[in-house]
Amino acid sequence: MRRATPRRRRGGARVRDASPRPADVDLSVSLGPLRLKNPVVAASGTFGYGCEFAPYLRLADLGGFVTKGLSLLPRRGNAPPRTCETPSGMLNAIGLANVGVEAFLAEKLPALRDCGTAVIANVFGETQEEYVAVSRRLNGAPGLAALELNLSCPNTEKGGLAFGVSPPVVREVVAAVRRAAPDQPLIVKLTPNITDVAAAGRAAKEGGADILSLVNTFLGMAIDLKTRRPVLDNVVGGLSGPAIKPLALYMVHRVHREVGLPVLGMGGISRVEDALEFMLAGSSAVQVGTLNFFDPTGSVRLVREIEAWCVREGVRAVREITGTLRLPASGTPTPPAG
Amino acid sequence: MPFDAPAPVLRHDALNRDHFLLTLECPSIAREARAGQFVMLQTRAGFDPLLRRPMSICRVLPGRRGRIQILYKIVGEGTRYLSQQPVGALVPTLGPLGKGFRLPDGGTRPILVSGGVGIAIFPFLVESLRAARRETPLLVYGARSRGDLVALEFFRKKRVPVRLATEDGSAGTRGLVTRVLEPILADAGGAPLEIFACGPTPMLKAVGALALGAGIPCQLALESQMPCGIGVCLGCVTRCPADQRGPVFRRVCTEGPVFRADEVVL
Repeated sequence: MRRATPRRRRGGARVRDASPRPADVDLSVSLGPLRLKNPVVAASGTFGYGCEFAPYLRLADLGGFVTKGLSLLPRRGNAPPRTCETPSGMLNAIGLANVGVEAFLAEKLPALRDCGTAVIANVFGETQEEYVAVSRRLNGAPGLAALELNLSCPNTEKGGLAFGVSPPVVREVVAAVRRAAPDQPLIVKLTPNITDVAAAGRAAKEGGADILSLVNTFLGMAIDLKTRRPVLDNVVGGLSGPAIKPLALYMVHRVHREVGLPVLGMGGISRVEDALEFMLAGSSAVQVGTLNFFDPTGSVRLVREIEAWCVREGVRAVREITGTLRLPASGTPTPPAG
Repeated sequence: MPFDAPAPVLRHDALNRDHFLLTLECPSIAREARAGQFVMLQTRAGFDPLLRRPMSICRVLPGRRGRIQILYKIVGEGTRYLSQQPVGALVPTLGPLGKGFRLPDGGTRPILVSGGVGIAIFPFLVESLRAARRETPLLVYGARSRGDLVALEFFRKKRVPVRLATEDGSAGTRGLVTRVLEPILADAGGAPLEIFACGPTPMLKAVGALALGAGIPCQLALESQMPCGIGVCLGCVTRCPADQRGPVFRRVCTEGPVFRADEVVL
């Protein structure tokens, strides 16, 4: 793994006169109504309820984190095997095992109130009514910075992906949640398992989304040649990790150009270069997911390395680089083939 | 509390064609580790293989350097890359993780049942039993063939009696460990025993069933695909007895890897 030397806030790093010192770099970002102290957010399903990472990092060093997807009632998830490693990636079919929204509010959220970072609740439902009920329950909960609507989980029989692949349905669910939770910044998490991701993004915008996060995992499968069976009990799962980065980067680029909402980009981000590339492509902030599995302190390392990059490049505020991709003069990106 | 740090390789010895003994310097982990716990090792730099590999802590070596040993077998790409790590390399090591073995009460004889590379978990347990002045254990150790048996020298030095079973009959009893274990349980004559087992899942299943049938307490150390090792990915779950609300799953990494035989359905 590549590790850059962490830069200290105060220290002897020699910099050119005109360059900002680390303390001068403004890492804060704004995504519509959501303000983050820095652009690195730990992604849903990879960070538990935050407390699990207390032995490894200071939550306050992150821009924020997104909880495991919360449903109205607790869910126990799919039967094992639930995961499978693939080249530079992994498949998962967890099935949204979670404590349920009530236990989250009673047992998890109070302990997070002073954690010093943005706590974002990921909302899941099998029906529109469940999305609405969970969101209504979370609306205005003290200590909650935003809701992220999971319209893209590939690993549940109902809900999630079934909603996310249909723009009219996306618009309707988002609008219903918007009415049920008017006080929370609303992030809608898009699936990549769709021909035109920008169409889903536009639908979410029309429904009242403040921010788009993308991408969730790509549908995939693995087969055990010896047994001639699928590796995952669920047969299909979601692919994540460095393997999906170029696919995700392209979708972020398109959604940024075509939708006009702030974007929280993600998909295989594992190195500082990845995070910065997503920002150039149009992300105001990024989420890191699978990285948390194989390097539990990787997320906060990215924050330090983004800061160091800004110092090196003379960037005073990291938000300035969002969407500054230099496209060829011929301009417009090629639309997807077929 | 677990620690995550690059651990220098102090020694790396091939025990036979595909078994290796890796000695790492990681004082924080060495200080806190308990028998039955594990570490997550990055097998090589970069993103392929992507995930760290869970490995039982085989031993914590005496002395102040804080050395741990990992005994592993090459079973795939990750372990093959790990086997190529030279002395002096830094191996990112996260641990100690999970709940280890609960030591038996004084007066109870521990029966250690190992299949294949499951043997890796037992040297630490043997030393912990000794340190806690528990009864001397008996080791029942099964493998495919004589050439697959490793670490016998350690148990001999510790004066742990060993009963072997090999599938091809090249050492000890021909057959599976249960063939050796059954008469031991039958001949116990009411003396208190407790079984500690680690090995392939079919073996754990058979040993757990034998123990439950005989009414003997039994702890099973499970193996699982484990992406994170710290309880957040929920990928490593094992099935547990269902309750009225349906199937129950528990995380091997945090609620285990050691479970009572009656707690899991393998």
